[in-house]
Amino acid sequence: MSALSARIPTRDELGLYLSWRKLPVLLAAAVVVFAFAYVLFISTLPASFGAGNWRTTTFGSAVHDPSSFLKITLDSLTFAAALFIVSSGFALIFGLMRTVNMAHGSFYLLAGYIAYEVQQGMTGQGFSLQSSEVNTWDWLVPLAVAAPCIAVIGLVTQQAFLRWNQGQELRQALITIAVSVIVADQIIGHFPRNTSEGQKFGGNAVDLTWPGWTDRFVNLHIGGVQYSLARLVMLGIGLAVGIGLWLWLYRTRTGMVIRAGVDDQKMTSALGINIQKTFAIAFVVGSALAALGAVVWASQSNISSGQDGVWLLNSLVVVIVGGMGSIFGAAAGAILFAFVSNFGAVYLPTTGSDCCTQYSSVLTFVLIALVLAFRPRGLFGKDA
Amino acid sequence: MRRLKLRSWKTAGVLVVISAAAVAVLSTGALASSHAKAVRVAIMTDCKGAFAFGYDVDIGGANTAFAQFAHGVTKSHSKPSAGMTGIKVGSTPIQVVGYGCGNDTVPTAVTETKRLMEKLNADVMIGPLSGDEAVYVANYAKAHPTKTFIIGTAGSQDPTMQIAPKNLFRYHGDGAQWNAGIGEIAYKKLGWRKAAIMMDDYSFGWTSAAGMIADFCAVGGDIVKRVFPPLNTTDYAPFVRQLPPPNQVDGYFWVVGGTGTGAALKAYEQAYGKLDPKQNIGNLFFGFLGADKVVAPKVVGSYVGGFGNMPGVHNPKVDAYRAYAKKLYPAQNVDDGFFYNYYMAAKALVLGLQKSGGALGAKLQAALPRSIQGPFQISNGGNVKLDARRQAIQDQYQLQLVKNPDGSVSPQVIAYVPGVDQSFGGLFKPTSPPPGRTQPPCKKVTTPWQGKIKVVANGKVTNQILK
Amino acid sequence: MRVDVGSWTLRTKLERLIAAAALVMVVVWPTFGGSYWTHQILIETFLFGVAAASLIFLSAYGGMVSLGQTALFGIAGVIIGNLATKGGPGGTSKGLHLGWDPTVALVLAIVLTTAIGLIFGAVASRSAGIYFLMITLTYSVIVNLTLGSVTKISGFSGIGGINRYTPGWIGDIQAHPTRLYYVALIVALAVYVLIRYIVRTPFGLTLQGVRDEPVRMASLGYNVPLHRTLAFGFAAFLASLSGILYVWWSGQIAPGNVDLGQTVDLLVIAVIGGLVRIEGAWVGAFVFVVMQNYITSNTHIPGLGFGGTLFGGSFNTIIGIIFLAIVLVSPDGLLGLWERILDTGRRLHLRGAPPSQPELPEPVN
Repeated sequence: MSALSARIPTRDELGLYLSWRKLPVLLAAAVVVFAFAYVLFISTLPASFGAGNWRTTTFGSAVHDPSSFLKITLDSLTFAAALFIVSSGFALIFGLMRTVNMAHGSFYLLAGYIAYEVQQGMTGQGFSLQSSEVNTWDWLVPLAVAAPCIAVIGLVTQQAFLRWNQGQELRQALITIAVSVIVADQIIGHFPRNTSEGQKFGGNAVDLTWPGWTDRFVNLHIGGVQYSLARLVMLGIGLAVGIGLWLWLYRTRTGMVIRAGVDDQKMTSALGINIQKTFAIAFVVGSALAALGAVVWASQSNISSGQDGVWLLNSLVVVIVGGMGSIFGAAAGAILFAFVSNFGAVYLPTTGSDCCTQYSSVLTFVLIALVLAFRPRGLFGKDA
Repeated sequence: MRRLKLRSWKTAGVLVVISAAAVAVLSTGALASSHAKAVRVAIMTDCKGAFAFGYDVDIGGANTAFAQFAHGVTKSHSKPSAGMTGIKVGSTPIQVVGYGCGNDTVPTAVTETKRLMEKLNADVMIGPLSGDEAVYVANYAKAHPTKTFIIGTAGSQDPTMQIAPKNLFRYHGDGAQWNAGIGEIAYKKLGWRKAAIMMDDYSFGWTSAAGMIADFCAVGGDIVKRVFPPLNTTDYAPFVRQLPPPNQVDGYFWVVGGTGTGAALKAYEQAYGKLDPKQNIGNLFFGFLGADKVVAPKVVGSYVGGFGNMPGVHNPKVDAYRAYAKKLYPAQNVDDGFFYNYYMAAKALVLGLQKSGGALGAKLQAALPRSIQGPFQISNGGNVKLDARRQAIQDQYQLQLVKNPDGSVSPQVIAYVPGVDQSFGGLFKPTSPPPGRTQPPCKKVTTPWQGKIKVVANGKVTNQILK
Repeated sequence: MRVDVGSWTLRTKLERLIAAAALVMVVVWPTFGGSYWTHQILIETFLFGVAAASLIFLSAYGGMVSLGQTALFGIAGVIIGNLATKGGPGGTSKGLHLGWDPTVALVLAIVLTTAIGLIFGAVASRSAGIYFLMITLTYSVIVNLTLGSVTKISGFSGIGGINRYTPGWIGDIQAHPTRLYYVALIVALAVYVLIRYIVRTPFGLTLQGVRDEPVRMASLGYNVPLHRTLAFGFAAFLASLSGILYVWWSGQIAPGNVDLGQTVDLLVIAVIGGLVRIEGAWVGAFVFVVMQNYITSNTHIPGLGFGGTLFGGSFNTIIGIIFLAIVLVSPDGLLGLWERILDTGRRLHLRGAPPSQPELPEPVN
């Protein structure tokens, strides 16, 4: 066979590929390609403030305004880092124990409030701190207090409620739902404490503050873009968590046991390995990661009641989309989720005041549902 | 078999009797109707969600009016929700039958309203606290004309503009009215001509923003971009990116509330650098409801939309109110809009009952005052007047965040805006759509208070017009 | 063996007797019962029971635990809210307010919601177990966000005043609120009978086969995803009835009705009642509604002593603890508990009974 004929597909092969059964996949691929082209080339700036058509976006296309494109990309990456930190804990627990820890969000919330109390206690202000008032120690100590607290609470929850019904997935999901309802309600009753009289309790919004040295811009030397150092620090922490988890799972014995347990729990335990201890370790690490994520995001934004539901949902979505049980899948899911929601908010057309950027969150979830429709186990999920 | 059958019938019979007894016991509770001549009042507020802290504040305000005008005696000086005794208007006792516990969302408002008005059989409701709850209560009021409803401190426009049932009253301004004058301040004192606005994507965000937009556009300003992050947005960064950069606009209006204010401002700082007080104006969420501790330190010096209250301003009437309320509830901030609005609602109820002689229903609705003395009111002889739709025409006070000697930051009144009505001089009509993402449009109109805003300095309202 | 069958029949007899007594009570309740119980507690029980029944139908007979019933409930409410209400002065100020005939709006709401349910089901039909739970949870989030951001059909405040526009054959439920009570009661009974009927049809039996052994059913030639989709569509139909009853009762539909809290609440109702029996839907709904209405942050329950709160928490702490207790002790909910008590009682009774005379077989008629 000549090289030429080997490259060109035969009519039959082409017909098979373009058959109607492949239509949904082709359509999806076409939409994705169009979306990329739209962001990169097709979109334009509005002619004047307020006007718009299907092509206008806030900043125009990437080719036209590369520095804005770069900023949005960095926004997405940094947000993905925060998502990854919180979701990796959830992914670890789900991957190993097949336990959907619906209390993950409540642990996150509790960690945020504990860290707030510690930071306020250290700096002694009782209200929002300016970055200049916070040094690195004032940020690390709250983390060092919150993470072990939540790790212990996670361990207690797992030993008391989840150890003896391993394998009953729905029951465990229901138990953790109950725990989350109780914990969230108790948080509302007892936090925040170290704040003004009228703001005490009720789960009111409070925030942590990054250390002062992060409050500046970094010149990226590309297109004159100045980017916030705090967000880059967040990206750094996310990368560190990712690398740390990879090293732990792939270069240590405990990690090896966990991976074995993810693949085949029964066999691992039949080999004489104390699988219960491994479960406990995984739950502790997973909860500690939720705490780290809370401290990071509370510094970036704030912490308030209601965020437990939001972050549980974020973790669920990231882990499901990326593929359950895989750290790499959690990273992929976080990146997809962050990019779609950030780019949607800025690169959806602005046809007028009422459309369309406010539908970015709907778009994100519709895409999630579509991913699940085509790949029910997630993008990188194993077919267990 | 026969023995089993007998036993099974016995057991069944016992069970039926027990359940019937239980039902009877519970239903007597349900059946117990109010036949006393006491007026049954329910106070609807929030104890969960974004305004959870409002619970004791609102009840404290209402209790203060009951104490001052209806001989009420508070059970606890530190916790208003412990209740009151001895509330009496003439010979008619007032019984506070329950406190509603909302969470700022509609489904809870539904349950709580029905619990208060149907299970506890309240005749009058004072409340609710938040805008969307009030829209529901207004629709409910329309369906229950024999009950009377006096809004607590909700800021949505619809209840008294588009829905406006005859048995619903509001003795304070709505969210748009609270911001009257701030646009003119931005135009005249800061020289803004083009501004962008970020608002929460729900009714209070739209209503509060409507006040800023209407006021700013009325004097000739232009709102070039409106951004609406949904409530419970996790990352405000993409929405802040939608705002024009600081070199393309003169300023930003912020109508992001509750849990999002600090987060949105942080996101702005990370995108565009330190906040310039001259380029940022917020609504009451910059200075009140806890923001003085969390948000205000970032924006010291910026102007802040009002809340119908006048912190720091002194005159005999206001100081007398403060002294009285502080003596009753020393821990409460009696200058807080929440506290004051519930105070005025309860005061109106007492005056109405005095005039109606304790009668309820349509008689009470006719007797409720159409003009009432308010400590925070200066124009119109110190009277807050109700318009034809039972909505207050109220003086407003615009503020600026200042740093106090002890390091804390608090809002201080710098401008007095007399006689603000809900229609903004005809811009908002019952037939016009309620405030929304594109409502109101940016139009140059003449508001009744344009050019009449007075400067407030050193806690005193001067006669100097704002230039 | 004889005694076994007798005891089984005893439990069924007991249950049927209690059910008959309860039915008689609710039928005559409005005439002598308190108006709050009629118009709040019992109507809520009926309508949330229907929604929970749709969930329990899917879990008990389809093997799929769905968190998407709340979404469909909300969709039906929003559709009827937009179609039936009128705008302008005296009308509602939100939504499309098309002002169509309420009966047409009612039919359209049911049909459209069932269609959307079929689509949801088709997308989710290839997943099972915990993955199915997640996808249906995503549906709830999508509906919540859509209602919140598309202000033309709802917006955050939602649509109000829907109960002013009821079909003529029901009449004005604001003037005659007891009519809604009987409508809800009839719908609840009809739903119960319908579910009991469906599970005995060939479709229902196949569905139970799919629940137990999907691989075997597929190899026998049954289209497993299709059956799951159709079951989901039927559950969507039931959820739409519940949504319509809700908007007629409260007059209001908003994104807050389909958020995470409400989704979890419906699951809590189903689990409290028992995920394996349809009757559990109304038992769970009754328990939940009573607790929600009687345990607020400031009610004083004699005996509980701390004003209905627990360590500073509120109603949610209490319901969370009850839910946790039920899931730990009796994963089949209250009805599962009831069955176990009766079975234990039967076993104790048998152990303690004197040896019975040999029973003569009853003549077969």
